[in-house]
Amino acid sequence: MFGFWKTWKALEARGIMGINRRNADYVLKYNKRSLYPIVDDKIITKERALAAGIHVPEMYGVISTEKEIDKLDEIIGGRSDFVIKPAQGAGGDGILVVADRFEGRYRTVSGKIISHEEIEHQISSILTGLYSLGGHRDRALIEYRVVPDQIFKSISYEGVPDIRIIVLMGYPVMAMLRLPTRQSGGKANLHQGAIGVGVDLATGLTLRGTWLNNIITKHPDTTNAVDGVQLPNWDGFMKLAAGCYELCGLGYIGVDMVLDQEKGPLILELNARPGLNIQIANDCGLTLRTHAVEARLEALNAAGVTETPEERVKFVQEMFGHIPPVEG
Amino acid sequence: MRSLTLHLKILITILVVLGISVTAYQIFVLGIPVTEDATDDLWNIDAKVEFVANPKDPVKIQMFVPPLSRDFVSLNESFISNNYGVSVNRIDGNRKVTWSARRAKGNQTLYYRLVLTKRYSGEKVKVKGPTFRDSIAVEGPEKIAAEALLAPIRQHSADVETFITEAIKRTNNLNDDNVKLLLAGDPSTPHKAKIVELLLSIAHVPVEKVHTIRLVADQPQTPELWLRSFNGNDWLYFNPETGEQGLPADRLLWWTGDENLITVEGGKKAMVTFSLNNSEMNAIRLAKLTDENTDANFLEYSLYGLPLQTQQTFMIMVMIPIGVLVILILRNLIGLQTLGTFTPVLIALAFRETQLGFGIVLFTIITALGLSLRSYLEHLKLQMLPRLSVVLTFVVVLIAAISLFSHKLGLERGLSVALFPMVILTMTIERLSITWEERGANHALKVAIGTLFAASLAHLIMSVPELIYFVFTFPAILLILVGFMLAMGRYRGYRLTELVRFKAFLKADR
Repeated sequence: MFGFWKTWKALEARGIMGINRRNADYVLKYNKRSLYPIVDDKIITKERALAAGIHVPEMYGVISTEKEIDKLDEIIGGRSDFVIKPAQGAGGDGILVVADRFEGRYRTVSGKIISHEEIEHQISSILTGLYSLGGHRDRALIEYRVVPDQIFKSISYEGVPDIRIIVLMGYPVMAMLRLPTRQSGGKANLHQGAIGVGVDLATGLTLRGTWLNNIITKHPDTTNAVDGVQLPNWDGFMKLAAGCYELCGLGYIGVDMVLDQEKGPLILELNARPGLNIQIANDCGLTLRTHAVEARLEALNAAGVTETPEERVKFVQEMFGHIPPVEG
Repeated sequence: MRSLTLHLKILITILVVLGISVTAYQIFVLGIPVTEDATDDLWNIDAKVEFVANPKDPVKIQMFVPPLSRDFVSLNESFISNNYGVSVNRIDGNRKVTWSARRAKGNQTLYYRLVLTKRYSGEKVKVKGPTFRDSIAVEGPEKIAAEALLAPIRQHSADVETFITEAIKRTNNLNDDNVKLLLAGDPSTPHKAKIVELLLSIAHVPVEKVHTIRLVADQPQTPELWLRSFNGNDWLYFNPETGEQGLPADRLLWWTGDENLITVEGGKKAMVTFSLNNSEMNAIRLAKLTDENTDANFLEYSLYGLPLQTQQTFMIMVMIPIGVLVILILRNLIGLQTLGTFTPVLIALAFRETQLGFGIVLFTIITALGLSLRSYLEHLKLQMLPRLSVVLTFVVVLIAAISLFSHKLGLERGLSVALFPMVILTMTIERLSITWEERGANHALKVAIGTLFAASLAHLIMSVPELIYFVFTFPAILLILVGFMLAMGRYRGYRLTELVRFKAFLKADR
């Protein structure tokens, strides 16, 4: 019992945020229920992002009824690679990534050859709500296939690594690079076994990582060091994340982004209840940073000033950036 | 934000204070027992009347029975008599039973039985009594002796109370010549009481003879004489032998006045013997019985006022918030992962039907089989509603099969399965399989075990009889519970499992 108390005090001193605090002080306080559909439906997110001029993977088309499945050819056009997703899918289910065409058929990213009919069946399944939580009718989204930047080749296993930045009222407070592993099956979700690697907000240099709640420095599949990697175009990511507040109106979100080989940073999706493992990846508590941002907001409010995304990024980079590398 | 916190604090305070005060009122003012086991003495008093009837005369027996005015309440009263007419009437604060028969022969035995208990509610009923009386006329030496006795009594007393005590003490001093003269060689208690009455009447202080029965089990006894006087507010009781004031709590007032306990017309050798015994009774049942026999209906507006069957339903219902509280603590304070929020509570309710051990086994078997069916259905790519319907039907068939087998094997326990809520099982299977697919088998297993654990714990706590009694009797406890839940709504400390989850931070420190 005493040991627990000591742990409690130690975690508190380091500003580690627990689920209860996240829910009570951040999710419930800053995220209005009525705005949830914006982040839950990827199509709405995308429309909003486009309207706000924020970079997202290009949307080729939406299929919302069985009849519209006939338009699939028209939507795909001559493209040889594309992605089909359920708009309200969760956990990466129901996503079909087509990498190439092969003699009138399609080749998925994992090498499987499928026919046009099979794709149509997949879309039909999406529409009936097979992949949406709760089984509601859903829409299928056909969009640009992201090709991850070469920089991640050495430190990821299959799949698309993404970058998660937690944004409080438009201020990015913590960032993490999520790397799929063999265990996570190419998915970038930490609870499925992906690696989270902390990122210095100012420089874009990776820190140490977390894998299944432990602190690690090497990728378990490739054994390459995950720390000390310079993420390209880091300021672009930061600005993109900071702009998401204006996009959705939710005050506490996790912004998931990818680095496309050609198009640079793109927003994949927003999450209204971002996980807490990012703290282990960064070896730093969220509460300290969120309190600093809240203090800043209060000061700005008193002065009657609002900051632009660029100013916000500058503030957090000066405040939380330039973490000295840890030994060991 | 701050105003919200203040608002919440005020709300919690109001709820908790309200809950505590209502419960305290029930316990301390209404005197409702805190535990079911608290029992009260239940007295069973039999008065056996024996006499020899005259062969030719009609018989009429009159006997005083307790008026039960204040401290005791009767639960049951019966007059056991063959061929006798019975009537009860009240005269001057006494109650008298009259048995009558046109003809009777030989030895007769009648019974009067009274079941009573101490009164629950402490409300005092206003009593009335005389505060003045005329002197009993005495002449000659008695008058002089009485006045000689009264002089020191007056000197040594301050008020009516001490005056009476003093008078009784003086009367009991058998060496005093004046007393000797007044007693005239008869130092029996009734006679002494009469002398006391005489003395007091000269001072215009009214006293009354009170005949009491001692509530002691298995002891033969005769009515005990006490004196009482009204001081304007209340009756004061005095022991005519010692002058001691105050009636002990175990005395039951049977009748007052100078008359005999029993009068018999048309008979002789009348004799009354008392026998008492006591038994204990579940306090709330006693309170209920008392309630039916009095006007004080403090249980009228409690859940005990409901029909018995509804009461049983409510006994389960009032425990649901307790179960939810257990889940709340397990999830938000401990950090245990369960399927959904209230599924464990529903499973805990289902355990009521099956018993814990058997319930866990059943739950595990049915869920495991259901999951394998669900994973097969997954290949068929069905829509949700048809899929759920298939799983539900499968669960029903499974339950039927288990019931049949266990019946054939002679295990009656298996039949209780029929009531194991199927919808709960179906939903559990569905959610578990979603969890399985989204987060892997390990996580699904963890969640399933967490759910079973939470359900078992909730079931165990929800079936503690003392707790059921307490919550059912004092439903205001639920307000305190709501207060706690509200407070939990803004709890932002760590969950116990998070201390383990974030252990990596502490290792890094070293």
